[in-house]
Amino acid sequence: MSATPQDLPGQPVAEQRSGASRKAAETEAEYGHLVKSEYEHGFVTEIESDTLPPGLDESVIATISRRKGEPQWMLDWRLAAYAKWLEMPTPQWAAVHYAPIDFQAISYFSAPKKKELKSLDEVDPVLLETYEKLGIPIEEQKALAGVAVDAVFDSVSVATTFREKLAEAGVIFCSISEAVQEYPELVQKYIGSVVPPTDNFYAGLNSAVFTDGTFVYVPKHTRCPMELSTYFRINEAKTGQFERTLIVADEGSYVSYLEGCTAPQRDENQLHAAVVELIAMDNAEIKYSTVQNWYPGDEEGRGGIYNFVTKRGDCRGANSKISWTQVETGSAITWKYPSCILRGDHSVGEFYSVAVTKGRQQADTGTKMIHLGKHTRSTIVSKGISAQHGIQSYRGLVRIAGKAEGARNHTQCDSLLIGDKCAANTFPYIEVKNPTAKMEHEATTSKISDDQLFYCRSRGLSEEDAVSMIVNGFCKEVFNELPMEFAVEAQKLLSISLEGAVG
Amino acid sequence: MLSVKGLKATVDDKEILKGLDLEVGAGEVHAIMGPNGSGKSTLAHVLSGREGYTVTAGSVTFEGRDLLELDPEERACLGLFLAFQYPVELPGVNNTYFLKAALNAKRRYHGEEELDAVSFLRLMKEKLKVLHLDDSLLKRPVNVGFSGGEKKRNEIFQMALLEPKLAILDETDSGLDIDALRVVADGVNSLRSPERSMLVVTHYQRLLDYIEPDYVHVLARGRIIRSGGKELALELEQKGYGWILDEAAA
Amino acid sequence: MSAQALESDRATNAVGGVPEAGPFDAWLPASAPATGEPGWLTAARTAATERVRTQGVPTGKSEGWRYTGLRALLEQGFTPVDEPLDAMLREDLDDLLVPGLDAHRVVVVNGSFAPHLSDLDDLPKGLRIGGLRATLAEDPDALADDLARIAGDGAHVFASLNTAGMGDGVVLLADRGALVEKPVELLHLSVGMDEPKVAQPRHVIRLGDGARVTLIERWASLGDALYCNNAVLEIGLGRDAVLAHRRVQLESPSAFHLSGVYLRQGAGSRYDGINVGLGGRWARTDLVVRFAGEHAECDLSGLYLAGDKQLIDYHLDVQHGLPRCTSRENFKGIVHGKGKAVFDGLVYVAKDAQQTDAAMSNRNLLLSQGAEVDTKPRLEIYADDVKCSHGTTVGQIEPEMLFYLRSRGIPEGLARRMLCLGFAGEIINALGNEALAGYVSEAVGGRLQAAPL
Repeated sequence: MSATPQDLPGQPVAEQRSGASRKAAETEAEYGHLVKSEYEHGFVTEIESDTLPPGLDESVIATISRRKGEPQWMLDWRLAAYAKWLEMPTPQWAAVHYAPIDFQAISYFSAPKKKELKSLDEVDPVLLETYEKLGIPIEEQKALAGVAVDAVFDSVSVATTFREKLAEAGVIFCSISEAVQEYPELVQKYIGSVVPPTDNFYAGLNSAVFTDGTFVYVPKHTRCPMELSTYFRINEAKTGQFERTLIVADEGSYVSYLEGCTAPQRDENQLHAAVVELIAMDNAEIKYSTVQNWYPGDEEGRGGIYNFVTKRGDCRGANSKISWTQVETGSAITWKYPSCILRGDHSVGEFYSVAVTKGRQQADTGTKMIHLGKHTRSTIVSKGISAQHGIQSYRGLVRIAGKAEGARNHTQCDSLLIGDKCAANTFPYIEVKNPTAKMEHEATTSKISDDQLFYCRSRGLSEEDAVSMIVNGFCKEVFNELPMEFAVEAQKLLSISLEGAVG
Repeated sequence: MLSVKGLKATVDDKEILKGLDLEVGAGEVHAIMGPNGSGKSTLAHVLSGREGYTVTAGSVTFEGRDLLELDPEERACLGLFLAFQYPVELPGVNNTYFLKAALNAKRRYHGEEELDAVSFLRLMKEKLKVLHLDDSLLKRPVNVGFSGGEKKRNEIFQMALLEPKLAILDETDSGLDIDALRVVADGVNSLRSPERSMLVVTHYQRLLDYIEPDYVHVLARGRIIRSGGKELALELEQKGYGWILDEAAA
Repeated sequence: MSAQALESDRATNAVGGVPEAGPFDAWLPASAPATGEPGWLTAARTAATERVRTQGVPTGKSEGWRYTGLRALLEQGFTPVDEPLDAMLREDLDDLLVPGLDAHRVVVVNGSFAPHLSDLDDLPKGLRIGGLRATLAEDPDALADDLARIAGDGAHVFASLNTAGMGDGVVLLADRGALVEKPVELLHLSVGMDEPKVAQPRHVIRLGDGARVTLIERWASLGDALYCNNAVLEIGLGRDAVLAHRRVQLESPSAFHLSGVYLRQGAGSRYDGINVGLGGRWARTDLVVRFAGEHAECDLSGLYLAGDKQLIDYHLDVQHGLPRCTSRENFKGIVHGKGKAVFDGLVYVAKDAQQTDAAMSNRNLLLSQGAEVDTKPRLEIYADDVKCSHGTTVGQIEPEMLFYLRSRGIPEGLARRMLCLGFAGEIINALGNEALAGYVSEAVGGRLQAAPL
């Protein structure tokens, strides 16, 4: 089956349906943990036959591509990315510190490296306690913690209903590998068009070796009937190191995508280098929400995920809108700048972020708002919380090009410091070339005031509850942007993250 | 109910309270008056457990318990309430949420069932009505963007909801015009009861026109130098603090 | 400049391998330093020369030069001024003076102290002003703690060039407790020569404990000559000393201007600095502040106008290395024509520098197509009990204000100028000295008048 954004909505309904329902079956395989038999069949055999030894060269990439049954153009694209990547320097400018990564020591094609545990008894009790606090059902706990799942979820029926609903609307929602097979024109047209393989070192690496990820296409004038991915959060625990997500919202469409999971996720892969590309055509809107809670390493900073992600949205059409909301509490090192290219006139970009660093976590995160079109508007609200030995930097670029008449930006960057060993940095870059543009940037750094703490305590709240309440208040503007149920979880997550970080 | 004996307290090694004695019985309203810098606010803060004050001598018992060894939140749960002179702003923290958390903290402390959202809202509406307050206060973040009068009214509203046994009103009249003062005072008066004691800390007599005290104490140079009935406040209003300080010094 | 920025300067150079025989070689002294120069200074020159060679030329990838290209400067092929210019007469200064300004005047011509043009006869007790060359010859030990020490070796390549090549400049020493009532005016006068020349004056200003001085530093030229100034000021403030420093840069429209102010503040001292940047084709100023004692206060404010094809760049680097110091940074800019303004402000609060209070503000009016503002207000905070903030805006004259004025019959052009002057007024009024404020106000007004707003 082949489709381009132009002809998709015009297809005969029947064909569209059948295509979509076939998709549904295949996607169940992709998100296979929902169904035990699929899961074993799909993944485990691959582990046995196809885990490649560590190392990266052209033959490894060819193997990945072959295993995925990719067309030649995809392989060519990967190889071109690889050739460029070899010449690229690793980025040095972020305010994060880590030992150099040995890219030849990573295995680029393997099923998830997790060792499966036999029962929850083998899982770190601290992790279980957190699951308990978040109110995560026992079966999900197992999946998240990497315990073999032996019960069939209720979610299967949910998932089926859900697939049907999406198919009715004509929304394509599948794995990127599947999309390469089934919708090559769409993928070929859009992949790398927002984040080219040459964009940066990690995007280059991802382009060469990506093995997993999501593809979403929302046809013209379609409002995606549900938040995508909420029902699949278990799957997130198994996503690969080199995820690639591509979301295209065609004219007049709307989609809200939720990535991640509030539960802490166990993952043996140290380096995560994902790429997310969003494309919004005329009058389309994409809302992308992330809760990131990867393993941050222990108190001394050992272990933990390096989360080096390139996320960018292209407001290609007039009146389009892309909104990034992120709550980042995990990972040893976070390096990500979800950005918007405001190309279409009257397009809107938003970035709402809460980032917490404690223990030895380091985060260098922020956004870029590139105003190219007329009357483009952007809003940046960044709330950084740093505790213990955490280091946190906001790094943001607001560029208003000469032709971006009437462009507007408002940026608010607030940092909260808890304890005297942490750090909070703010590095905004503001470039304005249009005399009708208006840009306002405000930043503050402070600690929780003794007055606020005492006020709450004098009303009977414990110190910990008081801190949690004040910090949640500090983050309010961002939580307001999250879909309702995510917001509640995110608040809980924030409180849990800060436990023990105070005092 | 509250018994303060020989209380001495320092701030940054400077002695502010120099041996203060005070007895407050159940249902009594005491006014503490005194010139600026006499230690009035220090007394209010020491009683409520604010950090930064070192008690060097004396004792404070509240219903037979040593108050000084308790954290501020425990004092609050036991029924002590401080209405702040400068109520603190908590950006992003919804007022209703804050009040519910406070009330439930207290209920938990006493082994009572926590109130669910519905019963809490009902209770809140009730209290609002008693105090003739508008419910728009509840939807906003705690004290953020409130006028001076709104902040003070919010304090009194918290007091109504938390039903303390001893309320300390720290300069509640400061920054209020006469109309706002009347509203706040009416609120306080509606909360007077035989079980509830109050300690009204004020510089001026005018608040006492509205909240009539049973006893008036004059605090100066870290001590209570004179106690009397409400007529003492009127005398201070007419003569100022000078004569009484002179007398005490003599 | 922050450590981070420095690293990237070096990193860029490393990528290019061995530093090429730099375009700055011509700026370095050809001959050995004057005989009798103290050893510590010779050592500092040698180290600076070495740094110039290893640092090489910053590029757009060097963080501190991201928005400030050096090509135009390098293309001029500047060579150092060789001979002091003695031909100037006192009358030649007449047109360059600030009307009504009563000050002790010290004049520097093409980088060299010009005693015959200076007016230093009635200096009050406790204040010494002289030339750098003379001071080094007569009493070098008087400068040993400050010269090349306050700027240190962390500065960028132009400061190193100045250290390597410095010949003359001005030394101002105020004794402990000296209260200097009349302001001291430090006038830099640049005169164009046949060849494009770079002057590298080096000034040392030191206030003893409790001393109070007002220093008005001005940059002016005869005609619209092409030249370059690369100046470094090292300022040391003793305990509780107070320096009001006014800097008015009105270089010729063809000139290149680099100046670095390096400040070391003792406990309880107060520095109140106001920078006005109007002149030059290309101007870069670095203001670098270090605290050597607690409870010091530093105010850095500024007003810049970048007009057509003009670049004005202010870099602030304020490091709170000790607790309980306060800093304020407040810069306002008006950019028009094809002008470009760059503001890079860093407030760095070290671990344990508790109760630091810092607020930075940078507001810009961007008035025409082709004009550009690049601003980077940065905070790096490693202590928790601090109050730090920054605010930045780029915008235009409010249409409502403009309409209000026009509805009262004021022509649009005038209304715009009035509003711009109003915007600039906050900084101009803060200059304090009436004569100087009038002079600056007129200069700003004149610039706005000439500009097609």
